[in-house]
Amino acid sequence: MADKVHDISAQAFSKDIFTTISEPHMQRVYSMYDKVSASIREHLNANHFQEHKAIILGPVTDPGIRGSKQVTVDYYGYEYKTMSSAILYKQLLSAASKKAGGSGKIYFFADNIRLEPIETAQTDRHLAEFIQVDIEVADTDHFGAMKVGEDLVASVCRSMKRYEPELKEIWAFFEPHSTARGLKKRTELKVPTSPFKKYTHREVIDLINEKIDSDPELKKHMERLFKFVPKPLSYNSEIPWEYEWLVSSLHDEPFFIYDYPKGSRGFYDREYKDKPGLLMDFDLIFPEGYGEAASGAAREYEINKIIARMKETGEKLEKYKWYLEFLQKNGTATAGFGIGLERTVRYICALPSIYLTLPCPKIPGLYSP
Amino acid sequence: MLDSLLNIFGAKKTDYPVSEIMDRARRGRKAIYPFSNEKFRFSIYGASMFGDAKRFKTIDDVVIAPPQFTPHRLEKAIELISREPIHHDVDTSTTIGGFSTKFPLVQSSMGSQDDWNKVAIYSAKACAKLGLIYGIGENITATWGYKERNAANQPSFFERAINYLENVKDGLGGLVVQQNEEDAYDELWNKMYSDKRLDEYLQQGLIAFEIKGGQGAKAGMGGEKIVDRATAKRLKQKYTMFPDPDEIEAEYYERHSSPDIFTEEILERRIKKLHNDYPNAKVWFKTGPYRDLEKVIEIASRAGADNITVDGKEGGTGMSPGVALNDLGMPTLACIKAIRRAKEKKDAKTSIIVSGRLYNGAHIVKAMALGANGIAMGRPFLLSAYAYPFADHFIEHELYNNRVMRFISTDIIHPDERSVGFVRNFVDSVEIESKLLTAAVGKYKMRDLSTEDVEAHDPTIAESLNIKSVL
Repeated sequence: MADKVHDISAQAFSKDIFTTISEPHMQRVYSMYDKVSASIREHLNANHFQEHKAIILGPVTDPGIRGSKQVTVDYYGYEYKTMSSAILYKQLLSAASKKAGGSGKIYFFADNIRLEPIETAQTDRHLAEFIQVDIEVADTDHFGAMKVGEDLVASVCRSMKRYEPELKEIWAFFEPHSTARGLKKRTELKVPTSPFKKYTHREVIDLINEKIDSDPELKKHMERLFKFVPKPLSYNSEIPWEYEWLVSSLHDEPFFIYDYPKGSRGFYDREYKDKPGLLMDFDLIFPEGYGEAASGAAREYEINKIIARMKETGEKLEKYKWYLEFLQKNGTATAGFGIGLERTVRYICALPSIYLTLPCPKIPGLYSP
Repeated sequence: MLDSLLNIFGAKKTDYPVSEIMDRARRGRKAIYPFSNEKFRFSIYGASMFGDAKRFKTIDDVVIAPPQFTPHRLEKAIELISREPIHHDVDTSTTIGGFSTKFPLVQSSMGSQDDWNKVAIYSAKACAKLGLIYGIGENITATWGYKERNAANQPSFFERAINYLENVKDGLGGLVVQQNEEDAYDELWNKMYSDKRLDEYLQQGLIAFEIKGGQGAKAGMGGEKIVDRATAKRLKQKYTMFPDPDEIEAEYYERHSSPDIFTEEILERRIKKLHNDYPNAKVWFKTGPYRDLEKVIEIASRAGADNITVDGKEGGTGMSPGVALNDLGMPTLACIKAIRRAKEKKDAKTSIIVSGRLYNGAHIVKAMALGANGIAMGRPFLLSAYAYPFADHFIEHELYNNRVMRFISTDIIHPDERSVGFVRNFVDSVEIESKLLTAAVGKYKMRDLSTEDVEAHDPTIAESLNIKSVL
């Protein structure tokens, strides 16, 4: 991959793994990965967050992930799961810290494994194995969590600004691929201005529908990029990733979408008391077409509500014994989010696809080292 | 000998269930299930209909009412130009739950029961070739494995699915897959959704996920099965087992699953969440003979279910307590009444099918005339797959004695590809009957059947179903 634009398709990437990853531009990306990780830790530690070792195995993991399968391992005759996200443990650790008189602010660099549907291999945003920086804060709600996310992203951008000369080489190298995938050409790493823009889910749906309606060029562009004809969305649905690309590409700075309708998220996202059907949750979206960076919420912690919510998602209560017992006795208000480390690196490095952030990426459905 | 002795003492037969009580006293909780304690059994149980007295009204209390004047037949003749229409001209195709099907007969989502699981792949092939929708019930992955077999002589879940999907022709039919709470433990739907080999079928829109809200033979109860000790130990984490296989050595172990929990809101959210989580799959909902069925139908349609399957009380079961078969649930005819009411509201987009001791062409024609979009059958597919010479003799004899069919499923019959032919023959016979009856009421599309085509034997039923009475 030395001087000209090479085949960086997922299939070609792992064919000769050593040649690919020993290429200087790839090594530069891995170095940025390291620096992004360090800047996240630096920021969180400076703000009195306590890091825990990530939990890998447990009798239960996050069930709230659309269509992706968990990995089951035989654990001394019990069926255990590898974490698809350690969300339930975050609540536990934050509540425990608070109870002990601590800050109630915790995080881990969580290794997540999700056997995502094959179709996600096309999104440039999904990996079957990735790291999510999982953050949880006691005594706050989703707005509090959004503030934490906003500060973190701004701080990371500020730190990474120092490496702009190296970044520029990476940007230039991948640019033809990035722009071909509908990503904006990068000329500088902007440090975003706080507070970030916030849209309700409903406002974003209106924005998307209006754009699709009024801009036939954009519609054609989406057809070329994603090989499907965009149609107006309903207020009840998640925002499919192609549409998320659309809103993302309309922005130059990160922003939030909040108040998603119930039904599109896991049972642990708290529902507004006065707005039934709406969840106190949010997504943090990177601009320029990169899409979702983080997903978070105020957590449901009242036992009667959580049981009803679990049944709405068809869960078997026995599976969550430890979690339900913990909430019953020690449930407390927490909020948090998980921010994708590889997604952040991809954004900073302006990479066409997420698998380029890792030396041995696991792309959904693809056999690779 | 005993009889004549008893006669000497002047003993008389009583209708009080003396032996039933004594059987309970001897065997305790084992006595409440209508099977013996043998390991292998052939289960085609359902509510007993014709004991000493018929206990409730059935679809047989409705007749098909042909007219003398048949304007549609004249129309059909004009369309055909050179010949008179006959039953071969009846169009049986329709759409059910988002699938196009050649004939409005769905193979019920039958589960993990041993005898059935063994022949289910043959029925799968037959249904696919016939363009029928094919259901796969709950607990199969946990019991028989997802891809790898858990038992050498029992196909896995995937074998059942792929034997259907690979034989689908012209995009007709569809695969309906249930996931109960215990299957959710194994994440069956997620597994399917990220399975490379199933992806093309999902893209073609050939797969539906069915939420199970009930079963006719045991409405309000969870799945019941008996298993051996090794299986009980293996499944202990996922099911309630009685007795505890780690502590007690027993002849067999009861495997109970829970009936799940629904409220209006839970049902609505679950349906919506399925659509949201699995955009390429259809969403079906199976419900049972509940007193609030009309409300259930209303909510499931409003939430956007593609199909609702209603299983009436007379529906079959691999295993249900005898008392449930006798005394629990609304008869199929009452379920049809609820369907009819729901369909009278014009806005119903969701298709509704019904099952529960329906097994011939008349049953399909009547159910459709009363508002159903089609019917589902379970036991007929099971019995058809076992239609080897002399099998009927064994099955009838053994069932009459309420004993097991261990010979059938172990020593005498080893089902093979011939079962595919038997199932096809059965469906063919039902299809011809349906065409004959539809043509007889002067209609040439089964989906045109309507309430004018049926009448009730007695005025109460007529009034209840809002149809004419023969008297």
